[in-house]
Amino acid sequence: MAKRLLRIFGPLILAAILVFAVLVSPVTFGFKHMSAAKERQAAVSLSPNILRGKHVKEAALGDGYVPFFGSSEWSRIDPMHPSVLAQKYHRDYRPFLLGARGTQSLTQFFVMQNIQSQLRNKKAVFFISPQWFVKGGTRKDAFGFYYSQLQTSEWLSHYRHDAIDQYAAKRLLQMPAAKSDHFINTALQQVADGKSLTGYQRFYLQSRKNMLTQEDQFFSGINLPSRNLARVNQQAQKLPTHYSYSALDSLAGRIGKAQTGNNSFHISDQFYNHGLKQELKKGKLKNFQKNLSYLKSPEYSDFQLCLDQFARLNTNVLFIIPPINQKWQEYTGLSPEMLRQFDQKIRYQLESQGFNNIVDLSDKGNVPYFMTDTIHPGWRGWLAIDQRVNPFLSQKQAQPKYDISDKFYSKTWQQLGPSQLSQYEQTSK
Amino acid sequence: MLTFEPYGNPTYFALLGVALLPLMIGILYGKRSRLYETLISIFFLVLTFGGPKWTQGVALIIYILYEVALTWGYAVYRKQHNSGPVFFMTVILSILPLTIVKVTPAVANGQSSLIGFLGVSYLSFRAVQTIMETRDGTLKDYQVMTFLQFMLFFPTISSGPIDRYRRFEADYRTVPDRDKYLGMIQKGVRYIFVGFLYKFILAYYFGTILMPKLQIMAMNSRGGFLDLSWPVVGYMYCYSADLFFDFAGYSLFAVGTSYLMGIETPMNFNQPWRSPNIKDFWNRWHITLSFWFRDFIYMRLVFWFMKHRVFKKPTTTANVTYIINMLVMGFWHGVTWYYITYGLFHGVALVLNDAWLRYKKKHRQSIPHNGFTQVFAIFLTANMVCFSFLIFSGLLDKLWFH
Repeated sequence: MAKRLLRIFGPLILAAILVFAVLVSPVTFGFKHMSAAKERQAAVSLSPNILRGKHVKEAALGDGYVPFFGSSEWSRIDPMHPSVLAQKYHRDYRPFLLGARGTQSLTQFFVMQNIQSQLRNKKAVFFISPQWFVKGGTRKDAFGFYYSQLQTSEWLSHYRHDAIDQYAAKRLLQMPAAKSDHFINTALQQVADGKSLTGYQRFYLQSRKNMLTQEDQFFSGINLPSRNLARVNQQAQKLPTHYSYSALDSLAGRIGKAQTGNNSFHISDQFYNHGLKQELKKGKLKNFQKNLSYLKSPEYSDFQLCLDQFARLNTNVLFIIPPINQKWQEYTGLSPEMLRQFDQKIRYQLESQGFNNIVDLSDKGNVPYFMTDTIHPGWRGWLAIDQRVNPFLSQKQAQPKYDISDKFYSKTWQQLGPSQLSQYEQTSK
Repeated sequence: MLTFEPYGNPTYFALLGVALLPLMIGILYGKRSRLYETLISIFFLVLTFGGPKWTQGVALIIYILYEVALTWGYAVYRKQHNSGPVFFMTVILSILPLTIVKVTPAVANGQSSLIGFLGVSYLSFRAVQTIMETRDGTLKDYQVMTFLQFMLFFPTISSGPIDRYRRFEADYRTVPDRDKYLGMIQKGVRYIFVGFLYKFILAYYFGTILMPKLQIMAMNSRGGFLDLSWPVVGYMYCYSADLFFDFAGYSLFAVGTSYLMGIETPMNFNQPWRSPNIKDFWNRWHITLSFWFRDFIYMRLVFWFMKHRVFKKPTTTANVTYIINMLVMGFWHGVTWYYITYGLFHGVALVLNDAWLRYKKKHRQSIPHNGFTQVFAIFLTANMVCFSFLIFSGLLDKLWFH
């Protein structure tokens, strides 16, 4: 009987042991290499699997791709989009687009956790959306969608006992996604309380990390969406062979004009027809943003996490602050005064800590064909951004000197009103 | 609370393995512990019908009590009397809950009935069959406890295979000898692993990865003749593959688990895609269902028609019964135009198939029969079936009416 049972269950047990061994082992099984074609595809795919994972990003960023952190603007692919220009004019860099609808600072902070060696002493681009800085900060469901246990366990394996990581743990614990793994959840509670992890916890996290790393290696490159790469190639064909700013600027204007015929907002027809038209007919959008404010938000501290991470890794970052389509802003009643104050507040947070590479486009909302829709740059907007991105990435830059302050994690800063800002600048120096 | 789809994830299988281990050791040493079997049955039923799905659990308990009352009552009654109307009344009452569950969504804008639960149809088949065999006199020794075990046998409760009371009872009352049981374990483990391949790899690929893409493409390519397009054809094959691998995979889990428990639950699929004609297809596809329909609807109707001389020719009797039989099967899937059309389609196909076989028999000399015609027959049958699954899928409903 024993012999027969062994014949039946032997292979099964062996298979189980092998699978488990492969998953928990820290060995990489020849997956380090990644084809250039796959990297090209992944860099513009905007796939959530790529964002949550590690392996593909790690390989591409090691091959000269530069991380472009941001959110939904990356999906607005027209001929002047950074990925299209970099490809067409054979720039020394290629953007690796990180972010999609709903990704905000907190998600990006965790995204940075497992590409640290690719960020250390390197350059990056960070696109700040004013829309992130609403009263509630990042939406719990959106954060949950992009949440990655792999990144969290990686972070827990190298976190420091300081205010920053305590804040990150506390913030993560407010998200339902943190409960997806019981052991990670208890570890987070300990980090939030400033306690150390036990040996058993570290062992669990290490095994879990190995398992998720292997899973990511095996599966995250499968079934990458290829639609965006096709769009990039298609848009590149519309560009002239040789780069000339004035030629591109007038081309951007011409394309913009051709694609924004049917509405008074200079919004691309496609976007306008896709739902906006119906909503406008109902008349509910008139003045609907009248009381909206981007001035008081937990997002300011989440954003500080990203700044801290860049400072720790000595990453040189170019920040982009986009405008809002002015015609749209006027129609919806969004306060220009508030937007100006937002710009002031975010710039203070950046500049007072030594982040001085800022492309501030916040006053460009009325430039024709600058915005492709209500809040996203297109055509001439992308080109204006390229005017700064290209030299920043192509030329050698001075080493930044960061001077990080924990005060940006305080409730006081998150909730600081516009009138108090100048006083705050004086007193908290 | 922990709650699972049966055979839904690795944890379920891990729990299953742990729970079955003592039972398997017991059978290997010639012992069956009724108590232990009942306990793990209850455990897995609570996992399936507990937690957030507790309303289903309550519906299941009430339903079971109702069916026990009916079958027990009828078994007691049948010992003394045998009246037709009482029998019909009992059968109607036993399928009443199922009928309510199936009709409710059609009349209440897609709302599902409160008395429904996962597996209500399969339990109804078992109950009806118990009543019919009691009437026939083939089932003489009805036992409430055995009936409960038969109905609530957890490996097959959610979607079959549909076992028969007497067959189940025979297995349940005996302990297979060691040699036979080792053979059953071997088969059971193999079935479960083939099930993994079917359900978690192939059905996942066809159903979760490919099908939604094809559906979007099909919806975007509307506008042509009947809104049909190449993506619709792709969807048809993809849906068929998903339907087969998903259900055959589930059935393999159910049969495999039964084998490990020493119960030889009948197989549901037997290489259906190699059927040379539609009749053979129904002998190979969802076998326990089609045999149930054959034994308890088709045969009974044919006898009734013949006894009352409703039709002159036996072929007419057969044809009419085919259509009724398949229409009932269509209605059973749900009261929508596409399920009913699907039933009608298969009814007509069976009628035509019979006619062709008769014609072929008469003209045996002039009709070639060789390897090529054999392959052609298989090809034709498979494509016919896939087309019927396209109707069944409801995609046409979305294409035309949404």
